[in-house]
Amino acid sequence: MGYPIWDVTIGGSLLMALVAIPHVIVSHFAIGGGLLIALTETLAVKRGDPELRGLAKRSSLVLILVSTVFGAISGVGIWVVAGLVSPGAISALIHTYVWGWAIEWVFFVLEIVAALVYYTTWDKISKGAHLLVGWLYFVAAYLSLVVINGIVTFMLTPGRWLATGDFWHGFFNPTYWPSLALRTGVCLMMAAAFMVFPAMRAGAPHRDRLLRFLGWWFAAGALVSYAGYRWWEAALPDSVHALFRGATPKLATLAATRHFALWSLTAALVLAVVILLLRPRLTRPATAVVLAIAAFGFFGGYERLREGVRKPFLIHSHMFSNGLRVAEIADVNQRGVLAAAGWAGHAAAADPADTGRQVFRAQCASCHTLDGYQSIRKALPSVADALAVAADDPAGSGARAYREHCAACHHDVNYDDMKGMLPGADEIRSDPGMIRDLHQGMITGTLVELRAMGEAYVAADRTTMIDTSPLHSPYMPPFVGTEQELQELAAYLGSLVFDVEPRLAMRGGE
Amino acid sequence: MNPNLIPALDPAGLPGPPWLFHVLLVFTFFLHMLFMNLTLGGTLLAVIAHFRAGGRREDPRGALAGRLMAVNSYGISLTITTGIAPLLFIQVLYQQYFYTATILIAGVWLAMLLLLTLGYYAAYLYKFRGAPARGQGGGLWLFASAVMFLAIAMVHVAVHLLHSQPERWADVASGAACVLGDPTYFPRLLHFVLAGIGFAALVAAWWAVRQARAGVEVELNTRIAGFTWKWMLWTTILQVVDGFVLLLLLPRPLLIGFMQGGAATMIPLTLAILLGVGLLVMIARVTNPVASSGVVSGTLGAMVLTIAVMSITRHQLRVLSLAPATKLSEPVVVPQWFNFSLWVVLLLAGLATVGYMVRRVLDAPATGADAA
Repeated sequence: MGYPIWDVTIGGSLLMALVAIPHVIVSHFAIGGGLLIALTETLAVKRGDPELRGLAKRSSLVLILVSTVFGAISGVGIWVVAGLVSPGAISALIHTYVWGWAIEWVFFVLEIVAALVYYTTWDKISKGAHLLVGWLYFVAAYLSLVVINGIVTFMLTPGRWLATGDFWHGFFNPTYWPSLALRTGVCLMMAAAFMVFPAMRAGAPHRDRLLRFLGWWFAAGALVSYAGYRWWEAALPDSVHALFRGATPKLATLAATRHFALWSLTAALVLAVVILLLRPRLTRPATAVVLAIAAFGFFGGYERLREGVRKPFLIHSHMFSNGLRVAEIADVNQRGVLAAAGWAGHAAAADPADTGRQVFRAQCASCHTLDGYQSIRKALPSVADALAVAADDPAGSGARAYREHCAACHHDVNYDDMKGMLPGADEIRSDPGMIRDLHQGMITGTLVELRAMGEAYVAADRTTMIDTSPLHSPYMPPFVGTEQELQELAAYLGSLVFDVEPRLAMRGGE
Repeated sequence: MNPNLIPALDPAGLPGPPWLFHVLLVFTFFLHMLFMNLTLGGTLLAVIAHFRAGGRREDPRGALAGRLMAVNSYGISLTITTGIAPLLFIQVLYQQYFYTATILIAGVWLAMLLLLTLGYYAAYLYKFRGAPARGQGGGLWLFASAVMFLAIAMVHVAVHLLHSQPERWADVASGAACVLGDPTYFPRLLHFVLAGIGFAALVAAWWAVRQARAGVEVELNTRIAGFTWKWMLWTTILQVVDGFVLLLLLPRPLLIGFMQGGAATMIPLTLAILLGVGLLVMIARVTNPVASSGVVSGTLGAMVLTIAVMSITRHQLRVLSLAPATKLSEPVVVPQWFNFSLWVVLLLAGLATVGYMVRRVLDAPATGADAA
């Protein structure tokens, strides 16, 4: 928490997603492409098939341009962004897994050198030597996945590491093997989806044959991915399931993401069977793009889900998304969050009127922007919300407003109860200050609940994954800090909605 | 310096003794420098050569530009790849300084990714689309690539200067542009740029001399060697001057720190200065590089050694700059010797595999139906 806070307009998590999702798509293509290109060339040599050779050669240019350039840069980009938006978390990961990353680097060096040699030596060296380079590329690329998979899965399911702190206990964690299976399938899908484009350039008599060849690999990848996904879900603890599974998931958006991912996979498989296996003539640039997008949809959805179900942690049961470690909750409560977060504390000391905002930046800004992604302003109760619920004009809009603005926190009351508790619409219009006072009390009450969660975390057994499902807000970090800091934050949050309320109220609350 | 602005050490501790990470950081940075010099200096030299040739590939300088960028389309990959290791080790040793510096100039640090992507693809566009085998063209892509790489160098110099100056953080937080106001910023930047051009020129000269002596395109290679040798001479002269300027501009406590460091700091510093001056003498003595191939190879060896020694001196400068901050807290060491040993074994196996692969490739030339 002691780092400066970068106020990124779109939100740190969205920025990370913008860099990480293209990277994982490209990097998985780089691995799967290694396998399919080496395999394609091997078959070409064995069968004396120039069309297969042409496919391997054309695909290797894509491999170089996409994976060694964009893949390498965006891979570094993940570190760059992580250092900017979650320095405490990336530091913790690097201090625990530096030798894991160093090992991955060795495989990466081999992978890059092999890729460059492979592409450069077409038509220049013997077939056997060229095949050797191609297979070495694939082995190195896959081994880099074997390593990084341990670090990525550790963040969600650290397993026995929480008790022992041992490198290997965290590395071979409960979701390691399911995730490796899933990613292996994704590698095949990504590679086949990319290679469809060079395959379409083959001569007419051979085009269909090459597309069918890729179709089998795509279908195999989709099935392995699906099996890996179900295995991954089964390996998650119940407290994580509670966030996105069941009749009433805690985070409905993650439940929707799960559906999106699985339907994307289904669509991708069906499309691949139709346009690659059954009717290759239907494969056109447009349909190939749709196929690729469907495959990306599954993988991107899975990655979003994997990141989302880790909430409220960056490293489950060890470090929260704002960089606060579970072990330091009691200490920060005593010292104050501004004492722990040196930069925010420095700013607050220079301008005491800004204290509430600095507490927000230190504790909340890692997930919430003011008006963009995960907007805090939209999450706060406003007079306009209350007016919309109370007025219910036109009929039905009140219930909708209740669902959108109230139900997430007031899940113990229904719309009619809520309408009954609120004053009438005219009364609210004539005395909005009353609702503001009510809302200020709600904000403070919520922060008190969030602080109470900290006590639950302090009392929890930290040698196993903490069950967050009974907590008030299982997807949010606890509030930490002194009573005065809590009040300053509540006042600041209140000011965020009260400043804009006259404008909203003018719209009649709807 | 406000100690409250320095984030705490990572409680996980160092997964090995500090000296090990210092050694790894310096060594991998040195490897990165070799490729980085080729990328930055090679692209800048290619731009100069290209425009001096009027964009014509038939001109030896135009051919030189093509050669440099042919190497660079692969060299950039290796620059990034070798850059990953020092980036990893700096995060182990100096994470609280490094992350803080990057956050303080977050916008430009993040923009580096875009600059790198554009610079890299511009280099490929020059190779595949821009530069014809004969005639003119490609200057725009080449120029774009050089501008991007120069901008990246500016960002890196800013971050590395800033991370070693916690006493300036509060000022920079209120205005990131004041990083450029540091009196050593531009001399440091110039030091990297001149080193890059000089090294790329030397590598190009060394290759041209080898080719000329092997009887391959003798006239072309002789002219390329002469052109690059002149550039090496002038950049080295400027480099020596800039090096002394940089030394004079260093804050007095740092200079005293170097003196008080004894042999550990004075030997690398002295050696770096002697090597710089020695290089100048070696280069100045050669009028026809093709006729002095031994000196050319020796100069290349001396240049590599200079880069290695300068990498050590640069690191020691950082250690001295950060000493007031680092002495406030000692990192806990939680060694992972097994994992370190595994890394060493895999590193050696990986290097052996690369060596085996390259040997197999060199031993298996083929053409026509026999070729892959």
